[in-house]
Amino acid sequence: MIRIGLRDARAHMGRFIMSIIAIMLGVSFVVGSFCFRDMLNNQVSQMMATNADADVYVRGATEQHNDKSIGTDSSSSSDSGASSSLTGNTSTTYNSINPNLAQTLSKIPGVAAASPSYMVSGLVLVGANGNARSSMGAPTLGIGVGPGNEWRSSTLTKGHWAEADNQIALTNEALDKSGLTVGDETTVVFGDGPHKVKVVGAFNTASSQAGATIIAIDPALAKSLSEQSTGKSNEVSQIGVYGSKTTPLDEQQQQQLADRINRDLPKSADAHAVTGDSVRDETTKSVQDQMGFVQPLILIFAIIALFVGSFIIANTFSMIVHDSMRGYALLRSVGASPLQIFMTVIIQALVLGLVGSVLGIALGWGMVRLIVAGLNAAGMPLTGAVDPSLTDMIVGLVVGLVVTIVGAAWPARTAALAPPIQAMNATVNPEKPVRARAIIGAVMTVLGACCWAFTWRLVNVDDPTPWKAVNDMTVGWPLGVGAALVVLGVIVMAPALVSPAQAVLGWIPSHLFPVTGRLATRNISRAKRRTANTATALFVGVAIVGCLAVVASSAKASVNSLVDTGFKGDFVAMNAANGQLTDEQVKAMEDVKGIDTAVPVSAVMGVTYNDSDPSLVMASDPSLFTKIFSPDTGDDEQQGDPVAALRDGDLVIGAQVAKNQDWKLGQTVTVRAKQVTVDEQATRQAQAQYQQHVQDQIMQVQQEAQRLAAQGDLQQAQAKAEEAQKIAEDAKHVDPMTLVKTRTDTVTKKLKIGAIITNSIYRTMAFVNNKVADELGTPQTHMTMVLYMIADKGADVASVQRKLQDAVKPYYVVNIMNRDEFKSTMATMINSILIILYALLALSIVIAIFGIVNTLALSVAERTKEIGLLRAIGTSNGQVRGMLGIEAAIISVFGTLLGIIVGISAGMVIRSTYANNGLTQLAIPWGELGVFLVLSIVVGLVASISPAHHALKQPVLDAVASE
Amino acid sequence: MATPISASTASPTRTIPDDQIVARAVDLCKTYGQGDSRVVALDHINVEFQRGHMTAIMGPSGSGKSTLMHCMAGLDQPTGGQVFVEGLEVSSMNQRQLTQLRRKEIGFIFQSFNLVPTLNAEENIVLPLQIAHRPIDKDWFNTVVRVVGLEQRLRHRPSQLSGGQQQRVACARAMMERPSVIFADEPTGNLDSRSSREVLGFLRQSVEEFGQSIVMVTHDPRAASFADRVLVLADGSITMDMDHPSYDDILEVFANPDDDQFDTATANGEVAL
Repeated sequence: MIRIGLRDARAHMGRFIMSIIAIMLGVSFVVGSFCFRDMLNNQVSQMMATNADADVYVRGATEQHNDKSIGTDSSSSSDSGASSSLTGNTSTTYNSINPNLAQTLSKIPGVAAASPSYMVSGLVLVGANGNARSSMGAPTLGIGVGPGNEWRSSTLTKGHWAEADNQIALTNEALDKSGLTVGDETTVVFGDGPHKVKVVGAFNTASSQAGATIIAIDPALAKSLSEQSTGKSNEVSQIGVYGSKTTPLDEQQQQQLADRINRDLPKSADAHAVTGDSVRDETTKSVQDQMGFVQPLILIFAIIALFVGSFIIANTFSMIVHDSMRGYALLRSVGASPLQIFMTVIIQALVLGLVGSVLGIALGWGMVRLIVAGLNAAGMPLTGAVDPSLTDMIVGLVVGLVVTIVGAAWPARTAALAPPIQAMNATVNPEKPVRARAIIGAVMTVLGACCWAFTWRLVNVDDPTPWKAVNDMTVGWPLGVGAALVVLGVIVMAPALVSPAQAVLGWIPSHLFPVTGRLATRNISRAKRRTANTATALFVGVAIVGCLAVVASSAKASVNSLVDTGFKGDFVAMNAANGQLTDEQVKAMEDVKGIDTAVPVSAVMGVTYNDSDPSLVMASDPSLFTKIFSPDTGDDEQQGDPVAALRDGDLVIGAQVAKNQDWKLGQTVTVRAKQVTVDEQATRQAQAQYQQHVQDQIMQVQQEAQRLAAQGDLQQAQAKAEEAQKIAEDAKHVDPMTLVKTRTDTVTKKLKIGAIITNSIYRTMAFVNNKVADELGTPQTHMTMVLYMIADKGADVASVQRKLQDAVKPYYVVNIMNRDEFKSTMATMINSILIILYALLALSIVIAIFGIVNTLALSVAERTKEIGLLRAIGTSNGQVRGMLGIEAAIISVFGTLLGIIVGISAGMVIRSTYANNGLTQLAIPWGELGVFLVLSIVVGLVASISPAHHALKQPVLDAVASE
Repeated sequence: MATPISASTASPTRTIPDDQIVARAVDLCKTYGQGDSRVVALDHINVEFQRGHMTAIMGPSGSGKSTLMHCMAGLDQPTGGQVFVEGLEVSSMNQRQLTQLRRKEIGFIFQSFNLVPTLNAEENIVLPLQIAHRPIDKDWFNTVVRVVGLEQRLRHRPSQLSGGQQQRVACARAMMERPSVIFADEPTGNLDSRSSREVLGFLRQSVEEFGQSIVMVTHDPRAASFADRVLVLADGSITMDMDHPSYDDILEVFANPDDDQFDTATANGEVAL
């Protein structure tokens, strides 16, 4: 039996090609997605091991209550936790510690070096050609490296580390890309503007930085820059400790060192030492969680491919079994058991699954290699391992084999159980009714729709249910569950939808082509399950892409309408690198001739509502509301006058803030701001104390030296004298900043809520005027984020824009946008997302074509006689082609239409759910969806070519005379 | 187009006036396979079919009777010789011409009915005309339907009809396009004797009332007895040509398998190998 199975498999190889391709694609996606994830994880861990390479980290000992990402300026911070739970951000933060602790740490035995690491992002390096370098959005980071701030994973290859503000060292990779060499003068744009610097060194890091440009700067500069950007001075999140300056400690040694440090750490420091490995694991995990969405997305398409694959296989084996029925009947009549017949079919499936899976694994591997090579060419070198692990391969193989066997099992059962006589007469069993599936599918779809309705209520009604737990649920859950139910429900219901679809979709072809159209249309509902399964591949693909297309175009439309209806300015200026405009830059733009009004909007950092709720407080002039954005205070009730409120020093809050905080118009609320200021008196004292301490030490050692000299031990005396000198020398090298004492003052202000605005971009923000902002913060915590400008009346906007661009040219990073460009920044981003989506759609179309080709091939095989008859009574070849073409087109239009309907519904639900987050406008991209539909007709016609060719190759005589 | 009959037709069959010939085979050969496995299905056959007659072709299995009909109808390509239907040479036609021939000149009735399962009886009957984009003659349709007795069954799908009814639909379909000749391949092969008689009755009626020409392959002497003329094939050659034979005449031919004719025919076949 095994031999018969293998021989059959070889004989049927031609027919297996399509099944093999389907399995290959499916398996390659599975393997590719695992492989890609492994590669990213590997890359992340490698970068962690390089960029956070300390043996022990000392960090705050108290966990911060933080479920709403404090400290980041993300606009999602007040959005009822929905977005943070969607991105799976679960990292814990600890209290910050004083960087001066590093000195205490370095005295602990076993510690070779201890230093806080300062990293500054949003820098811009100007290359040798005078242009700012940017590479695929990868960041440019500044890291403080130098004596006392070692970075073990880096090796200096040329020159020295930066020793002053105007020196930098670059990685050799960055040097290559920027065209700079050691010794060159260039410009680096820091948060406070461009600085002339000299490249004084070159270094390598242990792993590639995935395209990020690393600039090593003087540690003191790094410290002050990072303090500027966070608005906190003398606070760091962690201090890195090396046990050895050359070789990393193993895990056990790390633990020993951490234990020793914990024993010696003063209680007052509120700090705790943990091993480097554990910190790296935590960070790696949180980064990996953020990248985690990539794999499910790829897997969805793997599932589509495998689903289509399984019924391509089922169809293929149905055909094979159909054709081999006589052979099986013969085997049965000479004594083969049903199980033996079953096995001959299953063995063929195994061969097919094996070939498909192995090819799929190879293809998946190749795809990941290609992606990595592509990224490499695009300037994002990755050193993560790209080869699939043994587990990945086994998973791929098992998935491929299981799908094949599942697909072949039913036809194999048919072959095995058919009684010999019936098998000889090969009759077609009538299809089981589809009513049960209609009911189950409809119930699932309705449940899904209920989930969506509930989602809508959750967002738009304050307390939709009496249960608090339900009301606090994040909207992502019902939304996702609803979508899953609707999609599965439609898949289950699809066979029952075939008949209505036949009536509707067949109307046009039946009238355009009276004979072929009608024949084709009626054929559609002959095997409803098969038709529905074939259409499902397109349905799922189009539903996903259609839904995202609706969301994307709604987002685009929302931004456009915001600009079109609300925005009255002519230009918007922003810092493309780090989001902050310096006073100098603002001044330069305000001074441009032709600018009538310039309204800066700045963020006030470190402000909290009540006691601890983080906030996004912006400062601006009342002119923001009179000249730039018309405030929208809602239609139904009076929510105050924002202009007057800002003028009077009241608080203007966004509607979402009002809802989350349960604040009403006219209420007085408490706003706290933490101000960290340099305590000059304490600093002077600390410096004096330190001086005194050093003097005392020197004095003591010198006395010792004198005593030794008096005793005649000249050699020892000499050593002591040198020690004294060394102490004096060391004291000179101590960074004076470490002796700066700061004082944290908390400013508490009671502010009246003067207006509540519903402008979508301001929903999660609160506004105060500049005067109040100055009282709340220090200049460091008060950063200009954006500058809106209006040109003089009658001025030529284009020429004013040119002048503005000239004015900010020396700063490299200031981006001036006119109204259209302001709109298109959003559009460009959305378009690039759409391109990826359309690539995925193309893929599901390819898979769907296989499915349609296969289904048609099967039905052509089953209808050999009927087609032969049609030809015998005068049907031309063209008419046969037309009939099959129409049949295929109806199947594919059926799938596409279902997909579009479900996709649009899902898109609309998502849009209205996130209306408060800026998706104010609903826009359905009818044009694109229309293209999908036309494309689906083409897909059907293309898919019918090969089955029609096969149908016509069969001689008419064989077709009608095969008794 | 009409080619005069060549003088060399050394046919055992009688000569019919030219304008009375609806289909004709000239020196028709059909062989399958090569070398040792070569099988002769038709061995230089010359035959003419008369317009307005019903001709039955009989013979044992493997005698070549089906092959002869398939070649006549353009369903099979002859190895040698020519086939003419209404003076058109079928044997040299390409696919497009064959399609036109099937639309205008030829009708088919098959043993296994071969109706389109998705169409109801009426749609099946008018299908050939619709395929050919020809207008439907309503009166003729009513006449045909009345003759085959399907007035009450027009809205039924094939699966809702009995075998006899299905074959009646097939007959009506063949008659509907008023072809020059209807080829019927064992039309009663799958029917019980009562249905067989009915179907043969319609065919007979269409010959007599409407002058339809019919060529029918059968191995049922009862069916053959409805024909105006019966040809008997054995091993690729026509061995007998009977004019209006009675049922008993036909039975007699097949009752004596050891008859000279069959022996000779078998010997000829072996020589041909």
